[in-house]
Amino acid sequence: MASKMGYQHNITFALNGETVTADIAARQLLVHFLRDDLGLRGPKIGCDTGHCGACTIEYNGKTIKSCMMLATQADGAEIETVEALAGESGELNPLQESFRQEHALQCGYCTSGMLMSASFLLERNPKPTEQEIREGLKGNLCRCTGYVNIVRAVQATSGKEVAQ
Amino acid sequence: MTAPTKEATTTVKWTGQSMPRKEDERLLKAQGAFVDDEGMYRMGFAHYVRSPHAHARIISVDVSKAEAMPGVIATLTGDEVKAMTEPLFQFAPKPDGRALEEYLLGVDIVRFQGEAVAVVLAETRELAVDAADQIEVEYEPLPVNIDAVAAADPDSHVLHESLGDNIAWEGVYDYGDIDWALEEADHVVKIDKLHFHRYSSTPIECNAMLVNWDPGTDMIHVVSNNQFPLFGALVIAPSMGVGVDQFDFVSQDIGGGFGIKINSYTHIGALALLSRKAQRPVKWTEYRTEHHQSGGHGNERTFLDIEVPVMEDGTMLGFKVKAFDDAGAYLHYEPLGAVIWSQVTPGNYKWRHIRVDYKETLTNKCPAVPNRGYSRMQHLWLTERIIDIVANELGFDPVELRKKNYVQPEDYPYETPNGCVYDSGDLPLALDMALDLIDYEGAKDMRKAAVGTGKRIGIGIGTTIDSGTNNFAQSQILNPELPFSGNGEACTAKLDLYGEMALTLGTTPQGQGHETTAAQVAADILGLSPEDVRVSAGFNKAHSTYIGFSGTYASQFAVTGINAVIGATEKLRAEIVEVAAFALEADQDEIVLSGGMAGVEGDEERQMPFMYIANIVYANNAILPIEMAQRLSLTCRYVYVAPFEVPDIERKFGNLTLTYSTQTHVAVVEVDEETGEVEILDYAVVDDCGTRINPMIVEGQVHGATAHGIGGALRERFEYDEDGQLLNSNFLFYHPPTATDIPSIKTGNIESPSPFSGTGAKGMGEGGGAPLHAICSAIQDAIGKDGPIVDDSHNPPERVWRMLNWDGTTDRGVTVVSKNGD
Amino acid sequence: MLLAPVDYYRPNSVAEAVVALQDNPGGRVLAGGQSLISILKLRAATVELLVDVSRLEEIRSITPLDDGSVRIGAGVTYDEMAHSPELMAAMPAVAGIAGHTVDPQVQNRGTFGGNLCHNDPINNFPPLAVALDATMHSTGPDGDRDIDAADFFTGYFSNALDRAEVLTSITLPALDGREIGYQEVEIGEAAARAVAVVATDNGTITQARLVLGCLAVPARREAVEQALTGAATTLDSVAEATGGAGDGIDPLSDPDASSEYRRAMASVVAKRAVMEALGGQHG
Repeated sequence: MASKMGYQHNITFALNGETVTADIAARQLLVHFLRDDLGLRGPKIGCDTGHCGACTIEYNGKTIKSCMMLATQADGAEIETVEALAGESGELNPLQESFRQEHALQCGYCTSGMLMSASFLLERNPKPTEQEIREGLKGNLCRCTGYVNIVRAVQATSGKEVAQ
Repeated sequence: MTAPTKEATTTVKWTGQSMPRKEDERLLKAQGAFVDDEGMYRMGFAHYVRSPHAHARIISVDVSKAEAMPGVIATLTGDEVKAMTEPLFQFAPKPDGRALEEYLLGVDIVRFQGEAVAVVLAETRELAVDAADQIEVEYEPLPVNIDAVAAADPDSHVLHESLGDNIAWEGVYDYGDIDWALEEADHVVKIDKLHFHRYSSTPIECNAMLVNWDPGTDMIHVVSNNQFPLFGALVIAPSMGVGVDQFDFVSQDIGGGFGIKINSYTHIGALALLSRKAQRPVKWTEYRTEHHQSGGHGNERTFLDIEVPVMEDGTMLGFKVKAFDDAGAYLHYEPLGAVIWSQVTPGNYKWRHIRVDYKETLTNKCPAVPNRGYSRMQHLWLTERIIDIVANELGFDPVELRKKNYVQPEDYPYETPNGCVYDSGDLPLALDMALDLIDYEGAKDMRKAAVGTGKRIGIGIGTTIDSGTNNFAQSQILNPELPFSGNGEACTAKLDLYGEMALTLGTTPQGQGHETTAAQVAADILGLSPEDVRVSAGFNKAHSTYIGFSGTYASQFAVTGINAVIGATEKLRAEIVEVAAFALEADQDEIVLSGGMAGVEGDEERQMPFMYIANIVYANNAILPIEMAQRLSLTCRYVYVAPFEVPDIERKFGNLTLTYSTQTHVAVVEVDEETGEVEILDYAVVDDCGTRINPMIVEGQVHGATAHGIGGALRERFEYDEDGQLLNSNFLFYHPPTATDIPSIKTGNIESPSPFSGTGAKGMGEGGGAPLHAICSAIQDAIGKDGPIVDDSHNPPERVWRMLNWDGTTDRGVTVVSKNGD
Repeated sequence: MLLAPVDYYRPNSVAEAVVALQDNPGGRVLAGGQSLISILKLRAATVELLVDVSRLEEIRSITPLDDGSVRIGAGVTYDEMAHSPELMAAMPAVAGIAGHTVDPQVQNRGTFGGNLCHNDPINNFPPLAVALDATMHSTGPDGDRDIDAADFFTGYFSNALDRAEVLTSITLPALDGREIGYQEVEIGEAAARAVAVVATDNGTITQARLVLGCLAVPARREAVEQALTGAATTLDSVAEATGGAGDGIDPLSDPDASSEYRRAMASVVAKRAVMEALGGQHG
């Protein structure tokens, strides 16, 4: 459906299964809407140019960088963030647990985006090769781990059910 | 009185295990508290106005349009800052007292692109940016200098009139007798120039802070990701005319720091002033472009006129060099780097005759600040380049030449020419292990087989030393007046009312897993599981668990932090034992702690949970003798003080750090002859950081340091054009490695316990920039012995391509003078 | 950083988009936004109205045509191209190139049409479109028109569309047995790139297209194409034919690589692209 023209927009979308409705400025980035207005901590901000991937979320089933989209563009979409990964009582999902076991995070800042990219990769390709894992995580920068243990964590999750 | 520690209860159980981290669950569930996740009631958002010029006089700053905008709360300009503050503390004025002047915002003259000249506070992030765009600044451009060597020229344009020239610090480090050695040597290898480039570890989380100068209490609340808050307070409090006690620093989760986040203190000060003016809390989250332009860069260093005396059998006697370190436009933490490199003066080698003529100069670039491997890796790159170039020029095998010149296992503790005491290690073994990991013989066969295929194979070695736990007295080598020496860290161990075990630390971890390793160590002392030990994340000044050195930097937690944890927990243990012995009517040496219970050894009837003990001290103290009740608190603060003395300032001689970890890296690379692209085919690291408290965390640090080095060697560089414009001001032109750029890293380890650290652990994690050395070495191997030398630490495809296409018409950059006239 | 104030409009059709652009001189088409949002965040361009075409179904399909050509909607994402059975069947190389564009998140959001219209020298599809003789279909105030790819790219970050004109789809002609080679030298971003489209018969190249990217306008190298035509499918003869591929081009110097290096790399990627198209080693 067409939106109205204007600086302010009313949007409705599904966030981690819950319906969200809001009036927002056209120029607001989706990541800022999620963080500043909705209080999510998952999507992080690490760059100005869409290179770091810390803000990665799933948008209609596919990973995107939420800093490279306007919040208005999310109208009608289904959005999932890292907050949706853990189980209902807070238990880590298999991918998160592998990250913990393999020491695949240090400062934890890139982790939300990394988990989203790794989840998407495994949803599509449950048994990726090492090269496929590296390609799948190419849009997410990590400055702590050298990716070594992140790759191992994804390998350790390979073949397990990670999608919610 | 302190109860004796019982052997049986301190049996190592958790220490040494690769247990998963306590931090991880919250971070994996996005429940970490990074600064930008936090807020304060009534806060506004700040945005800086930054200079587009590298060097210019500020003619005027007009905030009127911005202030008139709806939603704008306040502005602050350099002139206002100048009127209400003093210049920032400088560590090493010239002997006659001249020093550069810096304020919390740019005043009168801006000296690098991105320098802040004003800041605006608005109701939203977007409005703050809009308003900053409306602040009109008129500049008159001044001559720009981006060359650290040229800056030393007395005729160069002076950045800071109050300093008189562009020399931030200069001094000669002279050990042994290099003139004699050059005379005595069979060969002297002369290298014209080596250049270590500018880059940074560019943490993914940029600087961020919430600052509230409370108008009622006059307290300045700072929630930040600064990694050395007390250092910041030391510099800014006198400038602002406030007491350090007024600063209430808090940090929790920090999204990478790597040293760079020491540098945010000028922002803390400026935003505090803005908060006071606005009477509102201020939130500031730095943008990536700002971070690259002004957040701080690693040190760039140029080495000139290197001379290396070598004996016929390969024994190297030392070297002499002129070093020019590029401080950028202001001294942030610098010029400490001008002495910190000397912790590793001879690298890993038994070189006794060394002269370094060191100058640190000011240029129109972003200030250099500590970055992983701070100041030592630049110097170690020099020592590693020296050994490979000597091997190449004189026909030695680089493995054998290293082994011949290494400090040998039997030499430890080894005193270097400048009095540093390398504590332990086994470099020849480490090198053999690393070579085995990459199948050295197989790699050599590959190298042979590649000839004529258009691809060349190069094998390179980097052996570095990570000096941990600074003796801050080394700062007196820069300025004998400085009242700094020693090092240490604080920890408070507490049993709370229901017997809960809690630790607070003075550190500001950024992923190093302090909560986990501290809990492992404390759990062993108290007979608990690490699960039972709550470790507060980050730094909180209100805990009073800090000393002036508290923070996370310079590879020291495993020594200072862990020893503080041990000290505090032992104190707590003694109190628990004393109360238990009283309550159970036993002798203190009969008491054992296990599973959260204190009991009489061998008597299952006589034991009590920690909760009972805590209850007695907190809420049932009438049953205790009054003397005990007054003395015991179950809140035990301990300060670990590293055993240091003040060096001999005149001779620049003394032990500058407590522990010295070694790293041995071997890289096998494939160089594409047509494009100059370098691909890492195999990579091995053997790390020796003494006793490992959590080997998994240690290994993670090794991976991270390796990735930073690989990034620096091949991809990451801050480069300025001649107008002083930064060409890599975001990730469009600054390329941290992605998952496809870092190979699988093979690791091995040796544990040579430090005799000096108490636990045998050594500081680690910076890694000495070893990949830069190993990769330069491998590229050199691929270029071949008759080509030009690899004279820059950064080797993107084009530079390698130029070396491959070297036509012999320019100098190779190296000459050899031999006694026998070769 | 953050965008300056901007208006946003999501039309229901291309026709509505064109009207909106006509009515708003400061209007600009927003598709996947993987370049444009970045530019707006850095406040490097001023836009008053963003006309979001990313959801218009009429520009979001991939249609194989009877003559073997494939028509790809401008709003199709790289990821959709990479996973399109039709495209994988007709032109697997194009699907493969799409599937290696930047990173997965960009593939999921960035569009074929946006990539072409933006004509950033680092973009991968402009030289491919020229090498394949693609036809660009657009709709504007004056109706629909077709533009040859060779005429579409007019300079750095610019194209032949009028201000209120929307790229709707792109037709890639049938390969008819020709093979595609695509090679680049990447330094963070692509520094040199070549696309070769080659037909062979019995060890001889019978037809060749060679286009260089990473330039203001994708550069077809006709002299190289002539030298290739009739050449043997051997590395030596291909190397000889492509040796001058970089002659006369004027790539920009940037922090990643100088113009001189990029020029030198042009012949390297040209040779490798041809060899890849020939199914051999990259040279």
